[in-house]
Amino acid sequence: MTTAIELAEKELEKKYSKLVGTAASNMCAHCGWCIDSCHVYQATHDPETSPVAKAERIRRVYKKEHDWMSKIFPSWTGAKKLTEEELDKWVKLAFRDCTLCERCVVNCPMGVETPQLISAARAALTAAGKAPEILTQLADMAISKEENAELYRDFFLEQIKEIEKQLQENMKNPDARIPIENEGAKILYVPLSGAHTILPEATIFNAVGESWTMSMFEASNYGVFLGDTAKAKRITERIINEAKRLKVKEIVLTECGHAYTTLRWEAPKWFAGPLPFRVRSILEVLDEYVRDGRLKLDPSKNPEPVTYHDSCNLGRKGGLLEEPRRVIKAAARDFREMTPNRLQSLCCGGGSGLVAISEWSESRINAGKPKADQIRETGAKTVVTSCDNCRHQITELSEYYNLGIKVTSLCELTAQALVLPSVK
Amino acid sequence: MLSAGFVHFVEYELQVIALAWLGILYALKIFQLSRLPMFREKAPPKGSAGAGVLRSYSNMLIPWSMESSKKHFWRWVEFGAYHVGAGVAILNTFTSPFIPGMMTESVRWIFAILIAPAFLLGIAKFVRRIIQPEMRLVSTPDDYFAVVSVELFFFSAIMALILNTPEWRTTYFLITAAFLFYVPFSKISHYIYFFFAAIFTGSRYGYRGVRPEGRQAE
Repeated sequence: MTTAIELAEKELEKKYSKLVGTAASNMCAHCGWCIDSCHVYQATHDPETSPVAKAERIRRVYKKEHDWMSKIFPSWTGAKKLTEEELDKWVKLAFRDCTLCERCVVNCPMGVETPQLISAARAALTAAGKAPEILTQLADMAISKEENAELYRDFFLEQIKEIEKQLQENMKNPDARIPIENEGAKILYVPLSGAHTILPEATIFNAVGESWTMSMFEASNYGVFLGDTAKAKRITERIINEAKRLKVKEIVLTECGHAYTTLRWEAPKWFAGPLPFRVRSILEVLDEYVRDGRLKLDPSKNPEPVTYHDSCNLGRKGGLLEEPRRVIKAAARDFREMTPNRLQSLCCGGGSGLVAISEWSESRINAGKPKADQIRETGAKTVVTSCDNCRHQITELSEYYNLGIKVTSLCELTAQALVLPSVK
Repeated sequence: MLSAGFVHFVEYELQVIALAWLGILYALKIFQLSRLPMFREKAPPKGSAGAGVLRSYSNMLIPWSMESSKKHFWRWVEFGAYHVGAGVAILNTFTSPFIPGMMTESVRWIFAILIAPAFLLGIAKFVRRIIQPEMRLVSTPDDYFAVVSVELFFFSAIMALILNTPEWRTTYFLITAAFLFYVPFSKISHYIYFFFAAIFTGSRYGYRGVRPEGRQAE
């Protein structure tokens, strides 16, 4: 019978075989430049939580098998074999103390990809059956939703009808629609579960007269957080198949950080080439509407100071840095930047699935302290963030640290500023 | 008293052997690296991969581009001074034996003055590695030995340049040879990987439109 260690080692080997893993494992000079770039370290000042310390635990296992010197004199380089005890220590290191935010990468003089090592550890833990159960359950649920689509369909349509009624009421337009299974539509919009990622977007699409249809599936992909490429692929495939079936021209993803990087950047690698349609975030679509003058916005409808939190996945990993800012400036009167922002933005502390793991909520809230301080310094009353993970985390940070802010999405802010055409 | 033949052997033949050793092992490392799959972006680009790679290579020349160098500017100065010293000490292993005409007294002094700060900073690095808990936690015997061996290399280079005696020159070249034999097995060879990783990381950030930054992060 294959042991947990053997499964973990096999998975690690698979991930290490990629050049970046090898480079990340060998090129760190232990200079310590990355130490205070990590929000977890900033909050705890625990040496074990510095990026180099976290990476080093995994690196030493890699070195035992691959580094010339480590093979002969492991104690000289600190190399060691993977043990059950070591693997258990990795659970918190990989799933709690690192949110794969990549802030350490952009602050490393060598560009060591520490998150790649942590992802490899996540994959190894998942293979060994040691990943947090809730993440596995959420990934499995997404897969079973496709397998039981027919069972789920009626309930889903009923829910959408309810949201559609609300939409018509809000827009004072009985013709406003949330189209489902609209074959040949230009856009397949993929939301998350919950009306907050459907209603504002539907308002905007209806306001500009967009040709769209809404996906039956959610954008989130817990397989990615697990480092489980097979599951991540499977979850992504549901949306790709739906888009192909409906013959849409593009997929537009809701405000969800990891869903964007997954479908926009990672999926083409998994499926060996570009997807047969364009993939964009709703942020890019909003930006286009604003720049083309298709959306009429009144910034005085959002009079209070607003700040923007860059989701690590959308910004540092995804390249969407200016699009949301242009939209906010069009939709709100007083936009204030956090310091630092964009490429150097601090993680909210809840990324990469951590927000779903309730037993670690205390350390998650603690790790969010640097972000809470940053928000407070802006004096903003509204925080816009385009990732549901960040939204949950910042809402909790606001309650815990008494920030007195409202957390909202870019679409909600935009819908609030919308000047609707009068319906005859 | 050292024989002229021995001094010559250490300065020439031994250096060539050590350099050949280093070259062969580095070639092997590079060959191993180049055989690994390089995962390329396959989605339509948002930016330029090439610009991102250039940006990765020039990162250290732009101290305001990283919070780690902007916030700790002295650290960046240290980094620069240390690597300039290392570069000059390495350059001297070629110029001293192979272009002796170039090594006038003033050039030797300039070289020594450039290496001296690196030597002093090396001591500071060693102390920091011991007293700072974060650094101590990740340091291995290889880390300490690397700093010490580079310090010996710097010190012998300075002495050989200033005093220019056969004893110091021999010491310097013996240390250099030992250093060259050890480097491929040590973390000192981290820079080999940098050239590969900068391509990977830089091209990813460039391709996705993350870098070069449209506007500086503030």
